[in-house]
Amino acid sequence: MNRILSFRMRIGLAIVLAMLVLLSGRLFHVQGLDTAGHAQEAVSARLASVEVPGVRGDILDADGQVMATAVEHYDIVADPRIVGDYTVDDEDLGLQRPVTVEETADELAEVLDEDADELLGKLTDDDTHYAVLSRSVTPEVRQEVKDLQAPGIYAEPVPERTYPSGPVAGSILGFVGSDGPLEGIEAAADEHLSGEPGERIYEVGADGVRIPTATYEEVPAVDGQDVRLTIDQDLQWFAQEAVAQKTNEYSAEWGNATVADLDTGEILAMADSQTVDPAEPGETDELFRRPLALTQDFEPGSGGKSVTFAMALEEGVTSPTESYTVPYKYTSDGQTIQNARSHEDYDMTAAGIYARSYNTGTVMIGNQVDEQTRYDYLRQTGYGQPLDIGLGSEAKSILRPPEEWDNRQPMTTQFGQGYTGSVLHTVQMNQMIANGGVKQPLRIIDAYVDPDGTEHPVESQQERIFSESTSEEMLKLMEGVVDYGSGQGAAIDGYRVGGKTSTAEAAGDNGGFDGYTVNFTGVAPLDDPQFVVSVTVHRPSGSFGDWELADAFSEIMSHTLASYDVPPSGSESEAYDGFVGERQDYPW
Amino acid sequence: MSVLSVAEMRPGRAPEPESFAAPSLTAVPTVRRRRRGLMAGVIALLLLALGAVLIVNIHVANSQYQVVQMNNTHESLVHENASLTQQVQVLQSPQSLSSSAVTLGMVMPASAGTFELDTAAVLSGAEAASSEERPTNFVSAPSTAGADATAPVDVAERAEGAPGGLLGAGALHTLITGDAGQNSSDENQSGEADRTDPTRGGGTIDAPSLD
Repeated sequence: MNRILSFRMRIGLAIVLAMLVLLSGRLFHVQGLDTAGHAQEAVSARLASVEVPGVRGDILDADGQVMATAVEHYDIVADPRIVGDYTVDDEDLGLQRPVTVEETADELAEVLDEDADELLGKLTDDDTHYAVLSRSVTPEVRQEVKDLQAPGIYAEPVPERTYPSGPVAGSILGFVGSDGPLEGIEAAADEHLSGEPGERIYEVGADGVRIPTATYEEVPAVDGQDVRLTIDQDLQWFAQEAVAQKTNEYSAEWGNATVADLDTGEILAMADSQTVDPAEPGETDELFRRPLALTQDFEPGSGGKSVTFAMALEEGVTSPTESYTVPYKYTSDGQTIQNARSHEDYDMTAAGIYARSYNTGTVMIGNQVDEQTRYDYLRQTGYGQPLDIGLGSEAKSILRPPEEWDNRQPMTTQFGQGYTGSVLHTVQMNQMIANGGVKQPLRIIDAYVDPDGTEHPVESQQERIFSESTSEEMLKLMEGVVDYGSGQGAAIDGYRVGGKTSTAEAAGDNGGFDGYTVNFTGVAPLDDPQFVVSVTVHRPSGSFGDWELADAFSEIMSHTLASYDVPPSGSESEAYDGFVGERQDYPW
Repeated sequence: MSVLSVAEMRPGRAPEPESFAAPSLTAVPTVRRRRRGLMAGVIALLLLALGAVLIVNIHVANSQYQVVQMNNTHESLVHENASLTQQVQVLQSPQSLSSSAVTLGMVMPASAGTFELDTAAVLSGAEAASSEERPTNFVSAPSTAGADATAPVDVAERAEGAPGGLLGAGALHTLITGDAGQNSSDENQSGEADRTDPTRGGGTIDAPSLD
């Protein structure tokens, strides 16, 4: 009995020993010989690395409202070497259900809204280990793909932009194409907005699922800075509505309304009659994909008289009350100019000439200063020089030097013809005149904000162009325009308002003038000027004199004053009389 | 662990040849019995250890998968949150606010009357808002909120199941009523507080006091 037992035990012992030898042999092979090599091979077979993009910064309005933000979308990619037939747990049947590649392709086609045959082709292309099935899908779609549990199909996060306010300030924000930012702040501040990508390394099992306990390394991505604009999105919308209404009313080619803070040079609104929705740039006419205030230069017209008057006051060749006999037509150096409507000779003050915007009177005043000085003043107020507000591209202005002027330009440049400028040039010029003669460069970027909240404000250098007294007198001249001159519709109850109308002839493609650019630019409140609003309509239909922009100005300016809690002062107008003598109501 | 236990078993079997040499001795069976008990104990200990290792292992693996699952839940909640934030941003856009206001029957404001407190002079007369004055809608709605946005969520519905306190319904309450915003004073943190304040008479500006 004992013998049999012990014999059996010996056999068992032998088997156990044999297995032990086998196991330890294998253990020795794996652990003892080329340990590192084996481990490395195993790990590298499982390692997967995914790039983690740095989150692109937001674009915020002046109040911190998000105007453009990054959302996480996904590229759905396949590794055809791993893709194949597989089984899933079918909850309804309680069984393992086999799924073929064809079925996977069909299911994916439905989820991704792509062609099934095309997808099947990509899934079974053995030449590659990376095939993009669909680009930039939402997290919801990605989840549906994930739920299929198909092996070898991954989602790679890709940054995507959304613009919650749509076409509000769309042309300022710009947009991002498939290869990167294309226009506006997106392109201009790309360096600040874009972050540094990081990397995520982890191990995946044979089923393509991450192994929870294994290696996991992450090189963190660095997020981009936020860009806070000076734009007030609510005011921007209001201005867009107002200018769209005007442009629509006059069936004009385009319209623009720009609002700026006089003290800081901050542009609060830069509204175009039509604006691109950055999410769908292709659906808007090319003209409206970039800010018109920046891209369109035109002859400024009567608005340019402000430079002539400010210059004349600064040079001391006239005063607001100095009298002139103003004719309908005026000839100088063999060139005759005339006013918009015929009238008798009037005995007027300089203030009256400005208020009624008479070309003849303006030239009589401007001619007291030599051409070079006049040119220098135009240059100092920004004309003939590009204007950069931080939007990447510069606003253009063409002003030839006096030696290149033709016979008429010595006169026409005094009343805003014969040279061009953008809306921003007009706004900048009015800004320096109304801001005590100090130029504060216009800008649209308020600050760059780090991901940790540190702010880097954008600084600008101010520069004195006119004396304070010139500025004060100019404001009174501008008040005359609204009180009794060409812009009476601009008045706002309770506030002192000043401005300047402008109806410039617009040059056509083939030389001559074939349309008009109408503008009203004004400032308020005159007791302590804070805002400048400029409304422009280009090529309105109808004939000269049909167009009135002062009401749109008044609407936008009163909204601005109310939004920024500027109280009405109710103080008396300080405008000078327009005509010499008691009588002031001469016909136009 | 298993290598050790096998080694331990060897000395247990080593005495076996002795039993062939002296079968007549009587002391052996007692020794064997004692050794059998020892062996059983060792095996039991071994099984216990194995079982313990197995349980710990299963538990660790389970927790790891739980962590992965919770990470996934976290991720999907983050996405939902992002999607809802996007919805809020779209609803905060000026043109959406404008169209909501029109839906509620609101019209463009007319000018408010103002007077100088020191001199009691009227600076500007008040005007009644006209029911005809609706905001224009030249600026189209944002196209971002397209078909791929998450379906709107009724936040109040979720409040029922949420825990109380700072992280639960309280936080949800803050979400629903929104933050103070730039026009609210510090003591009236939410819009609801404004409405219930009797001195305000339903508006946001203090009503005149009668005493």
